[in-house]
Formats: sequence, structure tokens, C-alpha cells
Amino acid sequence: MPDTHFYRYDDFDRALIAERIDQFRDQVHRRLAGELTEEQFKPLRLTNGLYLQLHAYMLRIAIPYGTLSARQLRKLADISRKFDRGYGHFTTRQNLQLNWIRLEDAPDALAALAEVDMHAIQTSGNLIRNVTADHFAGAAVDEIEDPRIWCEIVRQWSTLHPEFSFLPRKFKIAITGSPNDRAAVRVHDVGLRLWRNDQDEVGFEVIVGGGLGRTPLIGKTLRDFLPRDELLAYLEATLRVYNRYGRRDNLYKARIKILVHELGVEKVREEVEAEFAAIKDSALRLAPETIEAIARQFAPPPLRAKRTRVPEVEALRLEDRDFALWLKSNIAPHRVPGHVIVTVSLKPAGAPPGDASAAQMEGVADIADAYSQGEVRVSHEQNLVLPHVAIEDLPAVYRALQRLGFAEANVGKITDIIACPGLDYCALANARSIPVAQRISAHFADLARQHDIGDLKIKISGCINACGHHHVGHIGILGVDRNGVELYQITLGGDVDFGRTAIGTIIGPAVTADRVVEAIDALVATYLESRRDGERFVDTYRRIGAQPFKDRVYAAV
Amino acid sequence: MAKNLSGDLQVVSANRLVDGAVVFFDEAGYWTERLERAVVARNRSDAEALLEHARRRSFDAVDPFLVAVSEDEEGRIEPLSLREKIRASGLTFAAIAAEAVRYA
Ligand code: SF4
Repeated sequence: MPDTHFYRYDDFDRALIAERIDQFRDQVHRRLAGELTEEQFKPLRLTNGLYLQLHAYMLRIAIPYGTLSARQLRKLADISRKFDRGYGHFTTRQNLQLNWIRLEDAPDALAALAEVDMHAIQTSGNLIRNVTADHFAGAAVDEIEDPRIWCEIVRQWSTLHPEFSFLPRKFKIAITGSPNDRAAVRVHDVGLRLWRNDQDEVGFEVIVGGGLGRTPLIGKTLRDFLPRDELLAYLEATLRVYNRYGRRDNLYKARIKILVHELGVEKVREEVEAEFAAIKDSALRLAPETIEAIARQFAPPPLRAKRTRVPEVEALRLEDRDFALWLKSNIAPHRVPGHVIVTVSLKPAGAPPGDASAAQMEGVADIADAYSQGEVRVSHEQNLVLPHVAIEDLPAVYRALQRLGFAEANVGKITDIIACPGLDYCALANARSIPVAQRISAHFADLARQHDIGDLKIKISGCINACGHHHVGHIGILGVDRNGVELYQITLGGDVDFGRTAIGTIIGPAVTADRVVEAIDALVATYLESRRDGERFVDTYRRIGAQPFKDRVYAAV
Repeated sequence: MAKNLSGDLQVVSANRLVDGAVVFFDEAGYWTERLERAVVARNRSDAEALLEHARRRSFDAVDPFLVAVSEDEEGRIEPLSLREKIRASGLTFAAIAAEAVRYA
């Protein structure tokens, strides 16, 4: 299926990417020939998304706002097979990481990516990173406006922005177009939430200074309501203030969240508004035609309303328990009657979270072509999404996903674990993440039990950088290194839901790797004994507090 | 029991330039993927000299550094830290490669 409704790179983007690849090819050549030292070369490779990890180079590929066409996904599969070991890792930043790229192949891999208008720019460095969005964008029933329009506007503005190429630190922006925030906007440097005010106008709540890592902070509202056409001027003003006052003397204090924390949001607001007043009527004000032109590229696919009650689906639901559970957990409502959004779980029991083989990627691409308008999304929860599936096609989609090993009915459940790459891959890690996730996942594999336990988000990071978002897990697990021994610190009560965003609290001393599963078991048992009707794990925790959980965990381990 | 991670025995490791693979500096002054071939420095000054030597021969390796190792009675060496153990022996779980075969 053609991906005509996708925003397409214009000639400017293409020329820029091609030029960058040529430059990089030359730089790689010079590095291999010994003409460039590692010190000289490192920033150049990082600019092109190429990191050196524990065992190999890793290429971080940007998937702007998590949107992929089937064609692009097929190309990613192809690249992973040709230049890597035949699999890739979808990350919490909606990117794809290939873990075994040879330096000499990296320019060819980038050239192959460019064939489908993709690249690895803005995946590294102290600049505005790849903008993330709600993975249900353009399909969600609760959506006010497609956030990708705004992601794309921000992308065009921020790509190679000369003034913001050397910020004090990296800068992450997330945008949601729905009141049910699925983009975690309160834990980003800037979060943008579209909403409709009393006058029926749509604008942004601008949230600033959220973030995880060493100093987790929930973002504060900088502007309650920003008219849409003023978005770029306001962001420019915010970035200028950050560029001017953000700390460059201390790596750990350089993010904008520290500035907001130290100066106070009122002072930051004052500065931003003053800067904004000077530029709001400049060329940065977005003309309606510009917005419309980009919006057209995100026009919804031509879906016609279809049957909402389909006897075949009902029959299969009654006869196949796993399918029934899958309908419960992996399906979300779509705005067009007779359609749903399907989340493809990349978390089969016991598998490394977020990994997909080339064959699996191709399989999902085929399903997207056949049943989801050729569209795929990547979620920050490390799953894939088929955004436009007709209800009548669900049995076929389910069977096709089963064949790929991706039909686990566990979205939002205890085995839908977010885990960063951890010490198996990452040069910054203190402890492993993936094997811990695998053990928990294998232990709780039983689907009926998972559904009985209900919604429970476990998030695991291998170090305080918090790529696994452990601070906002209902149960967070952080790997620490104590004299060469991996230990895991457990936090409870984190949340990213809008209005309830919270940083989890450490419950006590870290536990050893072989005790993590027991600890989780103890937490779950405490919840099951104490829960009231309709309470999720995190609700029970909020009601009864940490003590009963603590008592049980430390009695068990 | 906590281990002494700054032990006396050290080898030099790096990542190979061309593919990032973990390599060790051997007796002959080359980079090898085989830890057992690594030359072992037995005291601090030997280790520093070895590192210096390795740095001069690092045109095909990235950022050489010292790795503390232990040695058993048969002369088998093993890195002391978990990180270096993982670097030396690879992923500690079956990567999806197994899946890749299954679904190919
Ligand atoms: S959280 Fe730490 S260990 Fe995990 S990927 Fe990020 S930097 Fe690496």
C-alpha cells in the first residue's frame, strides 16, 4: 500500500541527508586510514547516531514521532539483516537501535535508511532530540488534534538549528494531542499538551523542566494556554533562556529541569515571556497555510465506518481464551466506527523487551499493509502499534501476530516491562536490565494470572540515567553497583498518567539479582490481599502506603 | 563478599576500531579477541608500561584501558568486574538471534 498520506521529506531534507552521509563516509574512511584520531572522530560519529557500546558500535535510528510506514519498517528489517545481526531494539525514545554495526558499514546503513527518508540525526548531542508523540496519534478516540503535525513543525524548526546546536545539555520534547497523555509530557524538558479552552480554541499547555535521570522532577506549567501559531516563537524563547542561563559547569546540573528548579518556574516564565514578547510577531509566527500544508500530510487515511459487532470475532472470543484476553489488553478504541488500534506486544514471555528480529519486523510490515493502511507506530513502552485495524480483521491480525510470536495479551500488564539495554550492551550501565526483565516476565507468564493482577507497569533501568523510566514505574527497578555486585533498588508508586504523574519512592535497601523476582512476587501478593474492587496496583499502594509492601518484601528476601 | 577490583594483575583491553569488538593486547603487540592470549601485567608499573605500549599500537583499536583480572592455578585469567566479564564473554542472555532463526 502506498504511504501517500505520510509527510514526505522535501528536497531540502533529502539534499541535507545525502550531503551528511557523504561527509560521514569520508570521515569514516579517514578514521580507518588513521588520519583522524578517536578524539577527533567521536563527535562526528555521534552526530550520525553511531555510539560505541560494550561489544560493538550501535546505530541509533530516529523514528520521528514514532511513526513508520510498512515500507520503512521493511527497510529497517533489511538493514538489520544486512548490516547487523538480524534484529533491533525499539527504545523508550521511540527509536530503533542496532547493536552490532561495523564502523565501515555505517555509512552504507545510513544510505539505505535515506532511501526511505530516515536518518540518525538528532539522536545524540546537546541539541533538540527527536521529538516524541502519542503513539496512538491520528487514531485515538480522545484526540483533539494530531500531535504529529506539531512534532513535524518542531522537527523542521529544530533540525540543525544553528543557535541550538550547542545547548548546555540534550533537550527532549514530547507532544500529546489527547487528554489521556500517552507521551509522558510531564517528564520531558518541554512537554506540550493540546487542549481546548472555554472559547473552543485549541492551544498548548507548555510544561517545562520535567525529566528523570539523577534528579527526577515533574515538569511545571510554564504557560497554561498558548495559541498554536505562537508555538515556535515560544519554544525559541524558552530555548534561548535555557541557552543563556542553563549551567554548563556541571554535567549533572545542566538540564533545564535544574534551571527551573533553581530559579523557580515564575522567574523562568518571566524571562521566557520577555524574550517571547520580542519575537512573537517575527517570522516564527506560523502562518495558517504552513500549518495546513503540514496538517495535510497527516490527513487521516480514508477509513469508512464498518461493522462494530462482528459475529466471527464474537465466536472466536468465546472459544479462544487468549484471543479474548488479547482483545481486552491489546486493543484500544479508534475514532472511526468499526475500527480499533492494535498494540503489538514486543514482550513475549521471557524475551528481551522491545527486541524484534528482521523477520518479525517484516511480518509486522506485511500485517500493516494488509490491515492497517500501511502504518505502524513505535510506542515509548517499547511496543509497536497498528493504528487503523478494522474489527472484522481482528482474527486474521491476531493469527498473523501469533505466527510472529507477537500476540501476547499483556499490554499494560506485569510482563509488559520497559527495560533499558543495561549492562549487557550499554557502556554507562551499572547493572543488567534485560535478564532481570526476562526473569520477571517468565515468572509471571501465565496470562490469566496477569489479567487477574491487572494493570501494573514495571520499568527497569541499568543506571541512574533512567532510560528505562524506572522513576515512573508503578514498580521501578534501578540497577546499582555496590563493590562490583549488581543490586536492584525498588521504587513504588511512580506514574506517568496525566494529572497523576509521580516519581516513585524507594522502599528500602537494594536486593540482589536473584531476589528481584521474589521481591516482585511479595509486592504483588501484598496488593492482591489488600486491593479493593477496581483498584489497580498503584491505587492500592496510594491508599495503604508503602509499609505493608515493605514488610512483605523484606520478610521475603 | 566484595572483591578487590583494583587487583594487581591487569590486562589491556580496547574495542576494535573496525567493528567495536572487544579486544585484548597480546604478547606480540597485536589486538586479539581471545582473553587467554592477553599479556598480563603483574604490578602497577608493568601495567602502566603495558598500557603505554598498547596506546602506541592502537591505530586499529579504540581507547585502550587497564582491566583488573584474577588468575587461577592453571593460569586462566578472568576479569574481576562484572562489566569486564560481560565485555569479555558477550551478552549474558540469548539475544533474539534465536528468535530470528525461529521466525526466519
Ligand atoms: S539507563 Fe543507564 S544503563 Fe540503561 S541504557 Fe540508559 S545509560 Fe545505559
